[in-house]
Amino acid sequence: MTFRLLSPLGLSLLILASLAMIYLLVPIAVVVVSPFGDTGFIAFPPQGLTLKWYAAALNDGRYLTGFLLSLRLASIVALISASLGMCAAYAITRYDFPGAKALEALFLSPLILPTLVMAVALTAYFTRSGLPTGTWRLVAAQSIICIPYVIRIVLPLLQRFDRSLEEAALSLGATPIRSFFLVLVPVIRPALIAGAAMAFITSFDEVVLALFLSVPGQTTLPVMIYSSVQLGFEPVVAAVAGLLVCLTGVVMVIMHFFGLRTRG
Amino acid sequence: MTTALPMPAENAGRGGKIPLVPVLLLAPAVLLYLVFFVWPQLALLMLGFQDRGGAFTLDLYVRFLSDSYYLKLLWRTLVMGVATTMITILLGLPLAYLLARARSRWATLLLIITTFPLLVSAVVRSFGWMVLLYRNGFVSDLLQWLSLTDGPTQLMYTLPGTIIALAQVLLPIMVLSLYAVFRSIPPDLELAAMSLGARPTTALWLVTIKLAKGGIFSGSLLVFSMAISSFATPSLVGGPRAAVMATSIYDLTVTVLDWNFAAVQATVLLVAVLLLSLIYGRLLNGGGIKT
Repeated sequence: MTFRLLSPLGLSLLILASLAMIYLLVPIAVVVVSPFGDTGFIAFPPQGLTLKWYAAALNDGRYLTGFLLSLRLASIVALISASLGMCAAYAITRYDFPGAKALEALFLSPLILPTLVMAVALTAYFTRSGLPTGTWRLVAAQSIICIPYVIRIVLPLLQRFDRSLEEAALSLGATPIRSFFLVLVPVIRPALIAGAAMAFITSFDEVVLALFLSVPGQTTLPVMIYSSVQLGFEPVVAAVAGLLVCLTGVVMVIMHFFGLRTRG
Repeated sequence: MTTALPMPAENAGRGGKIPLVPVLLLAPAVLLYLVFFVWPQLALLMLGFQDRGGAFTLDLYVRFLSDSYYLKLLWRTLVMGVATTMITILLGLPLAYLLARARSRWATLLLIITTFPLLVSAVVRSFGWMVLLYRNGFVSDLLQWLSLTDGPTQLMYTLPGTIIALAQVLLPIMVLSLYAVFRSIPPDLELAAMSLGARPTTALWLVTIKLAKGGIFSGSLLVFSMAISSFATPSLVGGPRAAVMATSIYDLTVTVLDWNFAAVQATVLLVAVLLLSLIYGRLLNGGGIKT
């Protein structure tokens, strides 16, 4: 710091930054804390102390089904985005062909395009095309918004990759596929895992595409929460949301330690 | 920066023949994008210029730009975008600056905590705001306690309420872009200005903020375009009474099933976001911002 924190300037910056921090965290804390309230409706600060809403949330089969569906979809989307994204990034960096730059721009463009616009386009397209309904539509749509994350993380690493390592493996008698898995994959694995994790979280949290393309009886957890908080503050829903926040926190801590280990 | 690597020998020798391996590697992703991204988007653009029978018409755009209800919707969307961006600048600047300049090991932890909300679904965060903003809710009580208002304040289902919630949802993005900019400005420049007699406030203003101007601008473009196109928060906190373009597009698509008019509004939103990202790209490439 080039000035003292206890000077008027430092103090005013500190106060504003603390306010920003409180502002960021309060609504999330509300979601976790308010289901502890003993009242039949959600209020903040909560009155009384009970675990019954959290217990009810854990025992409610509907939310468990939604959670498992979200988990399954997010896993499939992460797998598809990681594999398709890596193959595309590999082809773009490894082979010199006309239009490589344009392809890269195409693959990254969903980062700019609002998800809402994509959701409208796909709703109209799917309904008119007569393609079979099902959650595969959502998987395809979410994969498109997740592939850019994988490509953005993997591409710079592939560009920096020392290709002589792979050539050395080839000259020592490894088949191209063997050298790919033994030499290249270990190098890009941390980036690939990070990309897949981004895809997983994006898909799991995503609500716009999930809402537009939802199939009756196959609702993801965010859509369930969205639909029920619109109608009223049921404490069980709040507890489900609170559990989701806690789970996200745990995942973030795991990812952080994992990230430290893959780097060190 | 990497230089172009030489092509592998086995491909270089084949001349005009299309190599099979890259085509096979690219095919799945390209197919997915063409069928479920490029084609539906083009179809959406066309939908806006068609009447129900499919004939070419400009009527829908005329309707959007002449009906006072839709102009009000557009205006509200813009107000929401500008106000949200301004709040994120006001709160994001000090937070990002202190996080970037702090040398304590707590700074990393604080940065992680700042980005944590990004991992929590916007639906969950908006729900937190619904609880806070309700009539007789915490914010209303706080305003009364601070003697800013006399009675309870209803912020739910209002534009100000939406803005308060949306700015929180997008603040981490502003902090992250400003953090990167502040990290790229050496603190020595402030020290130099101060050793030449500038007071800390002047040094901060004349040196750091001036240098970060491009970054603040590009961060604002990012937050603004995300604000005008975000759906979950305006829909939950604002509701039908504070309808914006995003919620109107949802109603037209899912409830009214008027895809042609939904396409018009989506296209207006898309063009706005694309224009902003073009400016953003120019800024990133044309210097001014170091990333």
